[in-house]
Amino acid sequence: MLDLKDLYFTVNDAEAESAAFKRHIIDGINFTFEKGKFYAITGPNGSGKTTLAKLIMGIHPVSGGKILFEGKDISDLTITERAKAGIAYSFQQPARFKGITFRDLLTIVTGIDDENKLLGILGRVGICPLSFLDKEVDAKLSGGEIKKIELATTIAANPKLAIYDEPDTGIDLWTIGPMVSLLKKEQAERRTTTIVVSHNRAFLEAADEVLIIQSGKIAYHGNLEGALPLLEDLSVCTYRDSCEGERDAGCFR
Amino acid sequence: MLDALDKSLLKTVAELEGLPKGAYNIRKNGKLLSRQVSANIDIETNAEGTGIVVTIKPGTKNESVHIPVILSQAGLYDVVYNSFIIGEDADVTIVAGCGIHCGSSQAEGHAGIHDFQVGKRAKVTYVEKHFATGEGTGRRSLNPTTRVFLDEGAQAQMELTQMGGVDEADRLNEATLGPDSVLLITERVLTDGDQTAVSKNNITLKGASSRVNLISRSVMRGRSRQIFYATLDAQNKCFGHIECDAIIMDEGSNETMPALKAQHPDAELTHEASIGKIANDQLTKLMSLGLTYDQAVNRIIQGFLK
Repeated sequence: MLDLKDLYFTVNDAEAESAAFKRHIIDGINFTFEKGKFYAITGPNGSGKTTLAKLIMGIHPVSGGKILFEGKDISDLTITERAKAGIAYSFQQPARFKGITFRDLLTIVTGIDDENKLLGILGRVGICPLSFLDKEVDAKLSGGEIKKIELATTIAANPKLAIYDEPDTGIDLWTIGPMVSLLKKEQAERRTTTIVVSHNRAFLEAADEVLIIQSGKIAYHGNLEGALPLLEDLSVCTYRDSCEGERDAGCFR
Repeated sequence: MLDALDKSLLKTVAELEGLPKGAYNIRKNGKLLSRQVSANIDIETNAEGTGIVVTIKPGTKNESVHIPVILSQAGLYDVVYNSFIIGEDADVTIVAGCGIHCGSSQAEGHAGIHDFQVGKRAKVTYVEKHFATGEGTGRRSLNPTTRVFLDEGAQAQMELTQMGGVDEADRLNEATLGPDSVLLITERVLTDGDQTAVSKNNITLKGASSRVNLISRSVMRGRSRQIFYATLDAQNKCFGHIECDAIIMDEGSNETMPALKAQHPDAELTHEASIGKIANDQLTKLMSLGLTYDQAVNRIIQGFLK
């Protein structure tokens, strides 16, 4: 349902002396995401995972190649047009607003302002308490609260393709399990094609297929078991001292 | 008695469909148009004949008074002095506002000079909306002054809004806070074209444990310009915060000058100020929810000025 064809995202390299020197953040990716499957994208920091997700949503412009969504070339469509086509995106660091509430965001994405229907959406999403509805999506929200709201607005869009960029950032340990179950339920009930960018073991285990991105290329795709040796090799983590090792933290960063 | 134009202006500035319930005083083109008092709220013309005195009996609860001003007479600059005396333990809402309709090339303007004496433990919500419209080219100006005196334990919440169409605005807000009193001011100003708006705010925190929160939201469209001054003068143990945010659209400009003066060692004063365009991540987020770029801009401004 989503085809990446010889996809490039290229920037001028600030470190290069010659302005003509280009660097490929996404370096010629070819891949087909199948309808209704759950994909986890992982890889070292700076490998291009978020950039790839943003290219699919249209947040970054494609430098070369094509993106086909349900057979149509969407490479030149705006973010708005891609949203209307059925792609939804959960940001790693969600925007904060002044004077816009969670209710407002849900109404924008669904067109629904009926109280009972909105409560129904909250019930379906599960992880946001009813008291969230009239909270302003501003700087007062904690990192975990705003991520729950971000996830809820993505699910409420009933997308054909849902992209989640590190959905577990700032989320407490007790919520990660329910969050994974929720995404799996949406996948099972609505055949939502799901792409999660994450280092978290819980998401990698939930995925039908794991993609490892390294230096802007797909270094591996397949099941988690096959990915493990490569993940061990790529395990360059700057947090290891504080988290006391990836084994206890359940982290493949 | 109210013509179609009056009704339209009243609806915009006071959210009134026809005459309000409860006490009211409607002023049109510098003269009294209509007045009604209630058992607990008295309205009288002041001794000089230059405005009104609104007296609210102690203990009056959940009542409101509307005092809109409408202006549609070419060349008129209407100055009015209004006093509000709010009795102890009262809890009331005062809705003011000025709507200007300018149909000619002559200037029209209004200066409402309002002072509030808020009694012990009384609560007042003051809502003021300013708006100008009309096909005329005359300059429309609104220069309000608001002076507030809060007695012990009194609370005032003031919502001051200028919606658009006003060519020149020069506002002065002054407040003196007694012990344990609380003042919350929210000012929202939208300017466009070549309009200018200046807001000066001088808040004196005189009483122990008094608190103020001053919020300003400015949006500059076109080549419009806004200047915001705010000074908190803490003379006792108190808490004060200024939050001023400005969004520049088009070629607008803004100056924001928050000032904090602590004259007491237990004063706690803070401010946050920001000026800039609409943040890109906000636009991207709303577009990813299906809004177009223009819809996203409007939605962000609408929320910001809500």
